[in-house]
Amino acid sequence: MGHEQNEFADFYRASRDSWLRAVTAVVGHRELAEEQVAEAFTRAWTSWGQVRRHAAPRAWVVRTALNLGVSWWRRRHREVPLADHDAAVPAGPGDGVDPALIAALRRLPTRQREVLALRIFLDLDTETTAKVIGVAPGTVTAHLSRAVAALRRDLQPAHTDPDATEVIR
Amino acid sequence: MNEHDDVMCLVRESFSGLRMDLPVEDVLAAGRARRRRQRRRLSGLTAAAATAGAAVAITLTLGGAAPARSGTPPSPPSPSASPVTLAAFSVTDGPGHSTTLTLYKGARLDPSALREDLARHGIPALVTVGTFCRSTGASVSFGQVVQPSTLPDGTDVMVINGAAMPPGTRLSIGYFAGHVRLLLIKDGAPLSCSSTSGQPAVHITPSGTPIRG
Repeated sequence: MGHEQNEFADFYRASRDSWLRAVTAVVGHRELAEEQVAEAFTRAWTSWGQVRRHAAPRAWVVRTALNLGVSWWRRRHREVPLADHDAAVPAGPGDGVDPALIAALRRLPTRQREVLALRIFLDLDTETTAKVIGVAPGTVTAHLSRAVAALRRDLQPAHTDPDATEVIR
Repeated sequence: MNEHDDVMCLVRESFSGLRMDLPVEDVLAAGRARRRRQRRRLSGLTAAAATAGAAVAITLTLGGAAPARSGTPPSPPSPSASPVTLAAFSVTDGPGHSTTLTLYKGARLDPSALREDLARHGIPALVTVGTFCRSTGASVSFGQVVQPSTLPDGTDVMVINGAAMPPGTRLSIGYFAGHVRLLLIKDGAPLSCSSTSGQPAVHITPSGTPIRG
C-alpha cells in the first residue's frame, strides 16, 4: 500500500464503527446505514487528495453519509408503491439494539436524531456539530436537550420490570 | 454531557454491538473502480470534444475551398464518425466462484456484448433492452442464483451463482431505463416477451430493494 492508502485505511478502520452507529441511529436501518457509510467512505477515498486536507475529514464523511440518506428517502418517496412488497424494507438495525430505543429514536425529528448521533457516537462538540448540520450552536444545544428529554420520557416505561409490583410505604 | 449522561450512555451502550464488517480493501477497490469510470467518462467527453472540433475543422476547410456564405451553420459531424460510448456494464469473477455483473447508469447497453461476456463466464443469458422475456409454461425456480443490490449512486450489482442454475436454463435479463428484471428461463421453450413487467422475477427498484414479483 502507498502512503495515501495507508492513511485512508487507518482513517477508515478508526472511524467506520462510529459512523455506522451514528448513521444507523439517524436512518433506523442497519443495512441502509451500511450502504450509506460505505458509499461515503468510497467517495472520501475517490477524492482523498482533497478530503485529507479538509479541516475536518470526519465531518466531511458524516455529512456525505447523511446527505446520501436524504437522497435515498427522496428516491424512495418517488417510487410507486407495489402491493405486498413493502416487507422487503429492513425492519430495524438488529445486532442487539433495543427495539424500543429504535422506535423512540424514530419518533424524534431528523435534526434531533442527527444532533444526538453526532454528539454520542462521534463525540463532536457543539461547535463542530453545528457546522456539520448547518445550524447555530444554540440550536444544537436546544435539539440535544429536547431529544434527551423525549428519549428519557419514552424509555422510562420500557425499563420498568412489568412483573414487578411497586410497594409504596 | 453532564445532565444528559444517563440517556446518552444508554444509547451508546445499546449501539455498541453494531460493527462495520466491510474490509477496507473493498472500499479501496470500489474507489479505484470509480476513478477509472470517471477517467473513462472524462476521456469520452474529451473524445467527443475532439470529434466536434474535428468536424468544425473539416467544415471550415471545406468552406474555405468554396465560396462560403455568411451565416452558414457548421455542418453536423460525419455520420461515419465513431459514436462515443461509455461502458454500460462489467462482468468480473468473484466473490468466490460467483460472477459479478455491474450495470452502470447513464450508458447505452449493448445486449449482445453483455450476453457474450456472460457466456465467457459460463452464464448463458438472453439480454433484452426495453423488453423482458419469460419462457411459457412452468417457471423455473430462481433459487439462489442471483443476489441483486443497488449502490447509492444507482449502479446495479448482481452476484450470479452460475453453478446454481439448473441445467437447461438461461438467465433472462430485461434492461429498462429505470430498472432491471431477471428471471430463469428454459432453453428451447417458447418465449413470451413484453415491454412491460410481469410475473415471477427479481425486480430491482431504484432504491436498491430487490423484490420478488
